Amino acid sequence: MIRLNRFQKTIVYIILLIYCLIIFTPFSIIFFNSFKNLREIFLKPFSLPSSFSFRNYTLAWEKANLGTAYVNSFIVTLFSVVSILIVSSLIAYALSRYSFPFRRFIYLFIISGLALPARLAIIPIYTMMRELKLTNSLLGLIVIYTATGIPFSVFILKHFMDMVPKEIEESALMDGATPWKIFSRIVLPLSRPALVVVTIVNFVAVWNDFFYPLILINDRSKETVPLAITVFFGEFSQQWHLISTALWIAVFPIIIIFFALSRYFISGMTQGAIK
Amino acid sequence: MRVKYRKLLPFILPALLIYMTFIIYPFAYSFFLSFFSWNGVGEKIFVGIKNFKEMLFGNYSKEFFNALGHNIYIFIMLTIFELGLGFVIATLLATNIKGRRVFQTIAYLPNIISMVLVGFIWSMMLNPQWGLINQFLRTIGLGFLAKPWLGDPNTALNTIIFVNIWRNVGFYVLVMLAAIIDIPPELFEAAYMDGASNWKVVWRIIFPLTVPTFQTLVVLLFIWSFNIFDVVYALEGVQAGPFRSTDVLGTLFYRTAFGGLGSAATDLGLGAAVAVLIFMMVIPLSLLYVFLVERRSKR
Repeated sequence: MIRLNRFQKTIVYIILLIYCLIIFTPFSIIFFNSFKNLREIFLKPFSLPSSFSFRNYTLAWEKANLGTAYVNSFIVTLFSVVSILIVSSLIAYALSRYSFPFRRFIYLFIISGLALPARLAIIPIYTMMRELKLTNSLLGLIVIYTATGIPFSVFILKHFMDMVPKEIEESALMDGATPWKIFSRIVLPLSRPALVVVTIVNFVAVWNDFFYPLILINDRSKETVPLAITVFFGEFSQQWHLISTALWIAVFPIIIIFFALSRYFISGMTQGAIK
Repeated sequence: MRVKYRKLLPFILPALLIYMTFIIYPFAYSFFLSFFSWNGVGEKIFVGIKNFKEMLFGNYSKEFFNALGHNIYIFIMLTIFELGLGFVIATLLATNIKGRRVFQTIAYLPNIISMVLVGFIWSMMLNPQWGLINQFLRTIGLGFLAKPWLGDPNTALNTIIFVNIWRNVGFYVLVMLAAIIDIPPELFEAAYMDGASNWKVVWRIIFPLTVPTFQTLVVLLFIWSFNIFDVVYALEGVQAGPFRSTDVLGTLFYRTAFGGLGSAATDLGLGAAVAVLIFMMVIPLSLLYVFLVERRSKR
């Protein structure tokens, strides 16, 4: 820890406050704009809104299809994260606990997926999804997100499980417990911290993703939040008051969740990037 | 532990099958497709290495190298500014100030917002008529600097880089701060005991000990810089205007594969060739990243 004297501290506080201001300003601008009309935005871009009416909100919510988009994003994120958790923890457990032929190979094979920029394979994914009738389908997105989430999640879970002591399990195995019992009763409950990391990292990645919906979805009833905003931005360009409102509706629940759970987010994302 | 292989299959197969079907197979198929010309519905026509020739030396080479140059430029700028600022802010936070957690959380906030939404928010901030940036410049008497930041080919790419930095620097702050906090406190104690200045502590202790973190982050930044797409899409569209001054491999790939207004060619084979070319450039570093991460996690 660096020790600063009072003068240095003051300087550091000032710098950090300016930095916070730079971060908050864009958010506050769309927040204030969401209460203004177009005229007000042009004439008084700096000032607080003259009245706090929610007219823009109902309009933007409807026109940007945000109700549907929120439901879709929620379904896709929930099911993707749950299925990532299930399949990744299953295989991580097998890789961590049992010796079997090709174990090391399978592990490296899956981990090498960390190195594959999955988006580059979008052309075959697109044609494959088309053949499977999974374009314009939430299930299609869920499947893709599950696949792209596997390498990272297996990596985190396997390393964590490696550190969980194995003595209890060995005696349980002696007593005739099945691998499934050991997994569900002993290993999974002990792996909670790693499961939290996997949940958070994948939640953020799936919720925010815009690329796969852009390619795979063109039916408005199936669009997710980032795609809905993109379409809206294209259709209603110049209607800045509505665009601001739609953007604010799209970001503020995430901001609330983030501040409420910031401890988990921060440790999860740091561990997620580089162990 | 040993059990029958058969009993382990239910644990291994779900993940393995999904991974192979939706990640490995599409990758392999991209390579295959890059030797064909295909509009997506009709028959695939084998063209050998023609797609690669066209991209690297033929009709599209100008566009390809223009985009590649931008990716490299973005990588350099992001390395300097995101890692630089990340290090500086992390160092400021690794002091005896109060409220470190709060600042850290705020710094990370933009990172959890979808890049495409961040792009839209900034396109409003940068609006030439009423956007905050130009208004601000006019208010402080620097009105002559006000310009259409995204509409001017000289400033568009740097503006995109700025938006990227705004969103992502918090991530580097977080990772750097974690690395600095990992440094044993005794080292600081000893240095201060010897009468070292803060400046010396930063350069002789913090910096050398965070070099491994820098290494990993540079590799990661390289991979991310070559995958950049959302922010360009949000601010300049797939045409990567003005006059392709913000074109990157990601938008070029999108245009060749899926078209876009006014694009010259839409050929999935050609698109796959672009993907393969990007892949070739990124894969060595991607593997290096996996290696670095694997090695670190073993300690």
